[in-house]
Amino acid sequence: MVVIGGALVVGATVAVLGACVLLVLLVVAVRARRQLRQRRDEMLLSPLRPPLITVAAGEDDDGTAVHTLRRAAGDSRTVLDRNIVGLLTKIRGVPAEQLVGVLEKHGAVHAAARELTSRSTVRRARAAQVLGLARAGDTVPLLVRALDDEAVEVRNSAAYALGLIGDAAAAGPVLSAIGHPERGLPAATAAETLQSMGVGISEVLRAGLHDAHPRTRMVAAHLSGERSFTRGLPDLRHLLDHDADVTVRETCAAAIGRLGRAEDVEVLARHTGQDEPLSLRRACTTALGELGDPAAVPALAGLLVDPDPRLAELAATALLGLGPRGREALVAHEDGPAVRSARLMASLQRASA
Amino acid sequence: MSWEGFVSGLRSAVVWVMDAASVPVLVYFVLINTSLLVLVVLAYLEFRAQERRRATALSWQGAGLAPGVSLLVPAYNEEAGIVTAVKSFLTLRYPRHEVVVIDDGSTDQTFARLEEAFDLVPLPRELPQEIPVRARVLGVFVPRDGRTRLLVVRKENSGKTEALNLGVNAANEPLVAMLDGDSILEPDGLLHVTRPFADDPTRMVATGGAIRPVNGSRVVSGRIVRVDMPQTWLPRIQLVEYLRAFLLGRTGWSRLGGLILISGAFGLFRRDVVVEVGGLEPGTIGEDFELVMRIHKRLRDEGRDYRIEFVPEPVSWTEVPVTAKVLRNQRRRWHRGLWETLWAYRSMLFRPRYGRIGWLALPYYWLFELAAPLLELFGIVIVPLALLLGVVNVSFAVLFLVLAYGYAVLVTLSAMVVDEWAFHKHDRWRAISQTIVASVLENIGYRQATAWWRLEGWWASLRGRRHVWGVMTRTGFDEDPA
Repeated sequence: MVVIGGALVVGATVAVLGACVLLVLLVVAVRARRQLRQRRDEMLLSPLRPPLITVAAGEDDDGTAVHTLRRAAGDSRTVLDRNIVGLLTKIRGVPAEQLVGVLEKHGAVHAAARELTSRSTVRRARAAQVLGLARAGDTVPLLVRALDDEAVEVRNSAAYALGLIGDAAAAGPVLSAIGHPERGLPAATAAETLQSMGVGISEVLRAGLHDAHPRTRMVAAHLSGERSFTRGLPDLRHLLDHDADVTVRETCAAAIGRLGRAEDVEVLARHTGQDEPLSLRRACTTALGELGDPAAVPALAGLLVDPDPRLAELAATALLGLGPRGREALVAHEDGPAVRSARLMASLQRASA
Repeated sequence: MSWEGFVSGLRSAVVWVMDAASVPVLVYFVLINTSLLVLVVLAYLEFRAQERRRATALSWQGAGLAPGVSLLVPAYNEEAGIVTAVKSFLTLRYPRHEVVVIDDGSTDQTFARLEEAFDLVPLPRELPQEIPVRARVLGVFVPRDGRTRLLVVRKENSGKTEALNLGVNAANEPLVAMLDGDSILEPDGLLHVTRPFADDPTRMVATGGAIRPVNGSRVVSGRIVRVDMPQTWLPRIQLVEYLRAFLLGRTGWSRLGGLILISGAFGLFRRDVVVEVGGLEPGTIGEDFELVMRIHKRLRDEGRDYRIEFVPEPVSWTEVPVTAKVLRNQRRRWHRGLWETLWAYRSMLFRPRYGRIGWLALPYYWLFELAAPLLELFGIVIVPLALLLGVVNVSFAVLFLVLAYGYAVLVTLSAMVVDEWAFHKHDRWRAISQTIVASVLENIGYRQATAWWRLEGWWASLRGRRHVWGVMTRTGFDEDPA
């Protein structure tokens, strides 16, 4: 028994120390590989860098730089294409079109469409990005399918690409991908994607306000406000009144503040009562100010004596922005800290404007 | 009693103790190493995930759903670095953030420096009392330019916890980031750490970012311009500890859905949730740990769907102790905080309602974080005694020691591989050799000393002694390596 125990300890010790040595070698190898790859890429790219910069800067008047880039071959081409993809995230207009032309000539766009089904997550994600940066509109169905990919990196990249292409037909799948139980699309990516699509997404957003998933409703509400889609107003009001998620309700309040009408004063004021969550009351108070309708004055004036001093100050700030009627409502509370603080902040901001 | 009789009695006692303890200690040894192995495997998975994320990263500048952030900076006698720190926080890359400095009754020129640098004017603002704060507020100030999003709140001295609670009350944005006054944030740090909130805005309630020791790095105007290794071994060993804690520990627990600790040096929380749970508990030692536990308990008790996540990208840099005295005080405090929080939330253990928190994370912290120094000290006393008395085989004992500490080094090296692959913050080759040496040196003296200090903290708590915070001597950040 003792011999077995001893042998076990010896074996385990050798294994652990051996693993330590392997890990040290791995650390060294990882760094060496990275540095070697950087040097190699630098070397391969160096002759192509001047024409690349010329094209990116929009100074290739006679087309010779583009011609040089199109002729690149072998490993140089691979490194060049990678750099072009990086540049395409930063430049627009004719230089971007010329660089996309280079990618197309190299077959990179065609290859990207194929690589959307690669086994490698990184390849699939990069392929989606290339298709977006190349504004390959004919690949929208492929990218929509990639929204259901098992890897979040691919889903993110597909949504990013769809945003760059800007085809409103993809808005529905993007919005509904947010609430997918296992393969959800991150809300931030979805919001950015939808933001860059045209006005054709208003009906999709309206439908999104009825989605079962609170994240989807929140994105739809946020974008309805950002894009001033007034057709969603009835649904926003309904969600503000009834949604189970307070974050969704706050987002609806902000959206109504941006695009609401006179009748929304009552809708927002209803949720400034003390029986509502404080964060929602504050959001509604700010939204009443955003709405900019003098009809909000009585509701806001009533909040100047609210037990929450922050809410009172938000109400005072909102009243300051509502013209003579709003300022008049402040007179009765002139000595209160909420009004004095709001006035001072407004005067400091005016002075610096 | 004769000397021989004493030795014989002692030998019998040692044999009895070793017989009694051998099975539990062996089980403990197997369990702790298995759990570390699990963390290594999780680190490997994370390393692959990081590689994928890095290779497919899309630029995100916080457009759209990025929630506003209030950076809460409690300051007590921080005249040396407060202006630089605030300037660096104000210039972080983020679309909507404000800085809230809470001057906790400083007796030096902290406020005067801020007043001069930002041309502060008093604001007659009454702060909400959503979280009750006992200390009197002495004044609220804002920059005269009306644009700089800085709010300075002066209060009577009552400690960091109350300062942070007051900061939460004063904050205007939906997220609050709790920082140390000497923290240095990565320029994109806020973008990294808020991303989970933007991705899952209805469920995410807190995130923590990875923290690195800044000692030895070159810091200019509150920004790190060159990352380097600390110049002495004590902070180098702590760097190894940080790598392991953040790249294996927090990452692993976050992956398992059992993250219960977000470091006080940098944590981001939904403001309404912090208010809802009553803010930080005044008088506690491990207030950061306690807050996260309270959030878990409250939200699980209410059956709410929520997430707390760790962001492995380096977000914040902090100065670690360079002297044994300061380190001792820090470790005593940490372990005392750990014990007091674990004890306070003992009712969550093995309760189905608390899921992985109750079944995995808390038992792990009880067994392998809280009890570890006790077992380690037991070994340190009993093994040499047994060797001296000839109770155990010398070569076997040495081999076992090499195995145990070799395993510790293996775990550290795994974290190093993850770091090198995913983040490679240290460019110099020398950093690799120094980190490897530090991971070995950690086992010679350092571990034993910190085990003792941790037990001191635990013992002080059990005896009900009042905690004294002590002073963290900072060398400060200037144009030279810290």
